[in-house]
Amino acid sequence: MPIKWILHWQPNAGTTVNSQILAEVSQCAEGINGIKEGRWKATISFYRAMTREQANANEFPRDFLGISLAEQPGKYYLVLKGQRLVVEAESSIQMIMEKLQSYKTRVALNFEGNQYQLGDFQLRVGKVAPMQSESLRGIVMEMEYLPISSWEKSHQIMGEFFDLWQEALSKRSLPGHFVHIEPNFSEFGLSDQYTSQHTAVQYASIMAQTIATAQSVQPVRN
Amino acid sequence: MECVVQGIIETQHVEALEILLQGLCGVHRERLRIHELCLKSGPNLGLVASEVRLLCDLEQPEPTWTVRHIGGAMRGAGAEQLSVLVRTLAESKVSKNALRLFYSLGYKLDHELLRVGFAFHFQRGAQITVTVSSVNKMLKLHTTDEAVPVTPGIQLVEVTAPASSENYTEVVAAVSSFCEYLAPLLHLSKPGVSTGVVPTAAAAAASLMSDGDGDGDGDGKEVVWHILLSCGLLQY
Repeated sequence: MPIKWILHWQPNAGTTVNSQILAEVSQCAEGINGIKEGRWKATISFYRAMTREQANANEFPRDFLGISLAEQPGKYYLVLKGQRLVVEAESSIQMIMEKLQSYKTRVALNFEGNQYQLGDFQLRVGKVAPMQSESLRGIVMEMEYLPISSWEKSHQIMGEFFDLWQEALSKRSLPGHFVHIEPNFSEFGLSDQYTSQHTAVQYASIMAQTIATAQSVQPVRN
Repeated sequence: MECVVQGIIETQHVEALEILLQGLCGVHRERLRIHELCLKSGPNLGLVASEVRLLCDLEQPEPTWTVRHIGGAMRGAGAEQLSVLVRTLAESKVSKNALRLFYSLGYKLDHELLRVGFAFHFQRGAQITVTVSSVNKMLKLHTTDEAVPVTPGIQLVEVTAPASSENYTEVVAAVSSFCEYLAPLLHLSKPGVSTGVVPTAAAAAASLMSDGDGDGDGDGKEVVWHILLSCGLLQY
């Protein structure tokens, strides 16, 4: 499977994210000859333990995520970041979790937008919005390099492309920049060969920052 | 959803049952070696207690894992009258660290079993699976190499078929109809309704193990017809 970097938008201190920035990022992708070729969508759900006593909720993990990815429509990924655990399951695991009633999803985020082909690279630009809402709370990107599956071997070329992308974007003087966090995949029991489980771990890794950015967005007032 | 019936058979008659099933199903049997871990939620987790099973298929070159949730049985006067249990079932294949995940979520191991035997999968009015297995317990945690039978001399037979709320009556009929062919050897009923072994089993098994048409080739189809005739399930 081709390797992929997940990038999240880091607003400058004192600024926030908005749909104008998203439009500029999309235009930048087209400006470097990215060919728009369709839409993509991922979803992250936050699971919370159900307990009879409120105090007991702290006994259970508070970082339990469920992730569905665009390229694996029949699969669902469960991540416990603190435990360095990622489990790949079928989508039916969501129904099992619902029947167990031990954990429920209270909050879910959608990541969706356009994808662009740029030679051997595929870029996805996505808006982060709460489920049931259109309001933009963040921006993520997926940067995929099709010819290579090895995380180590791809590092240099991905780094170079990332630098190129940052440079193209900097000409637009936007109040922020994209950040790439590299998780320690081996701690999650993942090998150098890239898989969708690696993607799920990257999404889990950007959650803290994504939530911080989302909370900084002012609600729209009429 | 799934439809399910169970029964027991003495180990000495399993070979005869296999011949009968081979003749009826027309497919080859598959070996079965499943490590089943039954997990229950810890004391403070969930508003109600919950149970989930992890199944590890040890027959595959690389062990494969499945998570299974068995739900409540269908209720009501109509369901009571059915000879087959209809219950909700949800399953998902999972990667191998699912057990660690459920432990981290607050589930505890309640018990574990090793089922060893064989299964037939075939289509007969419904997609039916018949499994015949000895149920074994492990003397030490997770030691599947040192498992001993829970009921020595007795094996469990299970007939299952997937169903939906639209077609379960047809599936129930298909399963019931198939079970009648096994009547000489064992009685199948809803799980939890125990019926013991069948008195005609020894005679039926003897017929199946003998050579039906005297030509020495142990023709399974011959003896299957013989069984069905002798039990009045077929007429001349």
